[in-house]
Amino acid sequence: MRDGVNLARIGIPVVALVTDEFWPQGDFVAQSLGMPDVPRVQLPHPIAGTGTKNMKAIAADYAPLIIKALEADHD
Amino acid sequence: MTDLFSAADEEAALEDLHNRHMTDGLPVIIPTPARVSKMVLASGQDADMILGTMGPANGMATLEKVAVAAVMAGCLPDYMPLVVAALKAVIDPRFDLTEMQATTHCTAPLIIVNGPARHTCGPVSSSYGALGPGHRANASIGRALRLAMINIGGGRPGTSDMALLGHPGKFSYCLAENEEASPFPPMHVDLGFDSQDSVVTVIGAEAPHSVLFSGDGDDPNQYALLLEVLAIGLANAATNNAILTSGMATIVLNPEHASVLHKAGLSRQDIATEIYQRCKMDGAEANRLCAGFARKTLNPRQAFTGPEQLLVLMSGGSGLYSMVMPSWSAGANKNSAVSVKVEADFYCEVPNFNGG
Repeated sequence: MRDGVNLARIGIPVVALVTDEFWPQGDFVAQSLGMPDVPRVQLPHPIAGTGTKNMKAIAADYAPLIIKALEADHD
Repeated sequence: MTDLFSAADEEAALEDLHNRHMTDGLPVIIPTPARVSKMVLASGQDADMILGTMGPANGMATLEKVAVAAVMAGCLPDYMPLVVAALKAVIDPRFDLTEMQATTHCTAPLIIVNGPARHTCGPVSSSYGALGPGHRANASIGRALRLAMINIGGGRPGTSDMALLGHPGKFSYCLAENEEASPFPPMHVDLGFDSQDSVVTVIGAEAPHSVLFSGDGDDPNQYALLLEVLAIGLANAATNNAILTSGMATIVLNPEHASVLHKAGLSRQDIATEIYQRCKMDGAEANRLCAGFARKTLNPRQAFTGPEQLLVLMSGGSGLYSMVMPSWSAGANKNSAVSVKVEADFYCEVPNFNGG
């Protein structure tokens, strides 16, 4: 989330990826850095360590949501 | 009968308690007769009911004195059944409280709560930071036990509590099992209690040692690696367990790690057995590192006498880190855990009780 805010600050389109377990923390960080509305997409938890097949499946499922969030932010 | 002190005001009373070495070094709620009476009333039992004696001072633990500790610690009346159960556990002769209070080792009583009382007498946290700050019940229940160990048991640093450094869990060391998120039956059920029982289990424990494990879902044997790192954390050559080859110890799995082991088809007992088998070290190495204590000529040496010496529970947030707590492992009963059923039926609500 902090990376997302920092990139957004220098004008780079950004979507922060945050797992559901860490969603409240993402909100907190975005709020505390003064950018509460930075675009973000919620991913299932856990992802790390769940294997290549699962990670590819998650990437396939969530890529459209990430693109949608980028387009919405651009609008 | 509990002694009564007088002071000009609460500020002076607090300083008096500090000067009498009756605190844990932090400010306490002043245990005025009114506050203690409310806590006793909430227990639904008589103030002079004797729970037992606490070493090394052999102080008599009456319900009133335990209520004093609970008030000082900042407990709500709802927590009293858990405080009383934890106290009963440590005064059980199998717990070796006197020896535990006196040892130079850092051991502290870890309180584990199972069953409905996690909610009705709390909430006692079993999630993020359960052993850290921010959870009133966890913080104050463990603290109440410590204050009882100081003021009833007489355990004071450098005089009767000879822990060389101690550890921060000596202020408070209390958590619940996350039964709802666990893939296993609750720990107290595996210890022989009914699922609807509420149970407090207390075990002498070192500070929690973090165990890092990042799995690989593509590897069907990843569970074995997790078991291996848990065993390394629990019984490395620096621990009493590895050198003295005795004692009970604790393993706190986070939900992700519990899931890895469950998906491998392991039960709680299987996990304890698998870790037990991995907790061994070369006899010559033990003699090289700690010849004075590693007298046995066993080779290889098992750190524990059996898998039943390992308490396995699930608690904490979901992620990379589980925790292990090696133990002192000495005492006549070799660092035994003691479980006590929580008697909540006696307890009653106190109208307009605001904790003040």
